[in-house]
Amino acid sequence: MLGKYSKTIVLFTIMVGIIIIMSIFIPDKFLTVINFQSISSQIPEFGLLALAMMIAMMTGGIDLSVVSITNLTGVIAAVILTKLVSPQMGEGLITLIIILAILVAIISSLVCGLLNGVLIAYVGVPPILATLGTMGLFLGIAIVITEGHGITGFPDKFLFIGNGTIWIIPVPLIIFIVCALIVALVLNKTSLGLSIQMLGSNPVASWFAGISNNSILVKTYMITGLLAGISSVIMISRVNSMRPGYGYAYLLTAILVIVLGGVNPSGGFGTVTGVVVGVIILQLLQSGFNILAFSPFFKKFIWGFMLLLVMVINFFVAKYQQSSGKLKIHT
Amino acid sequence: MNKKIKRIFSHSEIYLFFIIIIFSIILTSINPSFLTLENLFDLIKSSAGMGILAVGFLIVLLSGGIDVSFTAIAIAGQYISANVLMATGVDNIYLAFLISCSVGILLGAINGLLISVFKLPTLIVTLGTLSAFHGALLAFVGTKAINTAELPDCFKVFGHNNIFVLTRADGTSYGLSVYALILLGVVIMSWLILKYTMLGRGIYAIGGNRDSAVRAGFNIVGIQFFIYCYVGFLAGIMGVMHISLLRYSNPMYIVGTELGVIAAVVLGGARITGGTGSIIGTLLGVVMISILEKNLVLMGLSSYWHQLFVGLIIIIGVSITSYQNKRRGIRSLTFR
Repeated sequence: MLGKYSKTIVLFTIMVGIIIIMSIFIPDKFLTVINFQSISSQIPEFGLLALAMMIAMMTGGIDLSVVSITNLTGVIAAVILTKLVSPQMGEGLITLIIILAILVAIISSLVCGLLNGVLIAYVGVPPILATLGTMGLFLGIAIVITEGHGITGFPDKFLFIGNGTIWIIPVPLIIFIVCALIVALVLNKTSLGLSIQMLGSNPVASWFAGISNNSILVKTYMITGLLAGISSVIMISRVNSMRPGYGYAYLLTAILVIVLGGVNPSGGFGTVTGVVVGVIILQLLQSGFNILAFSPFFKKFIWGFMLLLVMVINFFVAKYQQSSGKLKIHT
Repeated sequence: MNKKIKRIFSHSEIYLFFIIIIFSIILTSINPSFLTLENLFDLIKSSAGMGILAVGFLIVLLSGGIDVSFTAIAIAGQYISANVLMATGVDNIYLAFLISCSVGILLGAINGLLISVFKLPTLIVTLGTLSAFHGALLAFVGTKAINTAELPDCFKVFGHNNIFVLTRADGTSYGLSVYALILLGVVIMSWLILKYTMLGRGIYAIGGNRDSAVRAGFNIVGIQFFIYCYVGFLAGIMGVMHISLLRYSNPMYIVGTELGVIAAVVLGGARITGGTGSIIGTLLGVVMISILEKNLVLMGLSSYWHQLFVGLIIIIGVSITSYQNKRRGIRSLTFR
C-alpha cells in the first residue's frame, strides 16, 4: 500500500526527525517564533524556484536558467519601481506603478520561459545546454541594465508583498501555498499535467499517442519561467533591493530539493508534496546551520555533499527494489 | 581538387576560422596594434589555460556528458599546491605540478566514480561536486589569498619563462611563453588518445550511441572513469599555470568561468549530444572567446556585456548544431 507514497512518508519522517533533534539540542534558539517566522519567510522564494525546476525535470529536462530569470525580471521590476516612482506622487499612481512593475516582471518571465521552450522544442537543443546558454544570457542582460550595481529603495507599499503578514501568516507564504496548490492541480487534474508526465516518461510514445510534444514543452518552460518571475517579485520585495547575481546558491539547493523530494531527474515522476516537504527540510537545516554559525563555505560543501549522498542512496534503493522484484523494467 | 575543397568546407571549423579572420581585420582597423606578433604571443599566454580546460571539457562532451566542476578542481589544485609549497618551503615548480595534478586526478576520480559506477546524471553530479569541492576548499583549506610577496619564487619564474625572446626596436624584449608548449603538449596528447587509442574511440562511441558502445564491447565504466580523471588532471595543470600567470592566488578565482569555457567548446562545433567535435575547432573557439573578451572595450562596449555575449554564443552555437541534428533525425525517421 505504501508504494506510491513511500518516498513522501520517508521524507516526512526525516522532517519530523530533524525538528525533534533540533528541538532537543538547541531548543532555546530553534523553538522560537522569530526562527519559525524567518524560516517561513525564506521558504516561498526558494520553494517557487524548486517547483519551477520540478516541472522542467518532470518532462525529462532541466531549467538551469531559473535563477537568471529571477535576476532579470527582478532587475526590470526594480528599474520600473525606482525610475517611475517619485516621492511627490499620489497613492493611487504609486499603486498603479507597482501593479505595472509586477505585470511587466511576470510578462518578461513568461518571455524568458518562451525562449527556453522554443529553443528546446522547436530548435531541438538539449535542455541542459539551452538553459545553460540562457542562464548566461538573462544574467548578462540584467548586468548590462544595472551595469553591475544594485538597485535599492522601493515604495513602502511594494514591500508588503515580501514582508507583510495577514493575521500572523507572512504574505509570501500565502502566495507560495496558492502557487503550490495550482501547480499540484495542473499536474494531477488537467490534460496538460498528464501530458507533461507522459512526455517525461517516454517522449516517443507520447508523440505517437497524439500529444504535441513541442507545444507541451513550450508550455512547461513558460510555467517554469512564470514561477521564477513570481519568486523574483517576492525576492526583491523581501530584501528591498536587487543586484544581479543574487540568489545563485538557490540553483544547487533547488536541484538538491528536487532529488530529495523524489522527483526522477530523467523525467516522468514527481510530486508537489515531495518537493514542498523537501523545501521545508532544507530550510530547517539551513536555520539549524545558521544557529550553529556554520560558515557559508561549509554550507556550500554540505549542500553539494548532500546532493551526491541522496543520489547514491537513491541508486541503492532502486537497485534493492529491482532485485526484490518490486520494480522491474529499467532501460 | 574540387572534392578536397568541398571536404574542407564541410567542416564547421572553417567558418569559425573565417569569422576570426574577419573579426581580426575589423579589430586591426580600429586599433593597429592588434595585429602584432607581441599581441599574438600575449593572447597565447593568457588563453592557454582556458584552452587546456576547453580540451578537457571537449572530451567530456564527446562522451555525451557534461562537467561543470572543472573550475573548482583547478582552483583546488592551485591553492593546495601553493599552500603545500609555502608550508614545506620547497621551491620547485615540478612539485607544484605534481601536487596540483594529483589533487585534480583525485577529485576527478570522485566525479568519475559517481558517474560511471552509480550511473548518475553527469550534470547533477558535477553541480554537486562543484559545490562540494569548492566549499570544502574554502572551509577546510582556507580562504586567505596568497599575495605576490608570499608566493614561492618558482611560480613567478615559471610564469616568466619564454621559449624564445624577440627584441623590439627600442631595446625592450618580449617572447613566446612556455605556456604555448604546455598547451601544445596537452593538445597532442589528447589528440593521440582520441584518434589512435581504443580508449579514444570508446569515448566517441559512448557519445555517439551508448547502447551500441556497450554491445560493441567497450568497457563503459572504465572509459567514463578515465574521462573524468583526465579532466581533473588537465584542470590541475591549468591551476598551476593560472597562479604563475597572475602571481597571486585567491581561492575564489576561476570558479564562475565555466560558461566561457563551455561557450568556446560549443562554438568550436562540438555536438552537445556527443560523438562529434574536434580539438582544432575547440582551440578556434577558445581564440574567438579570448579575442572577444579582451576587445569588448575596443568595440565600444563595456565589460558588462561579456556575460551577455557568452550566453548568446552558447545559444547560437548549440542551436545551429542541434537544428542540423534534428533535421537529419526527421529525414532518417528517428524520433527524439
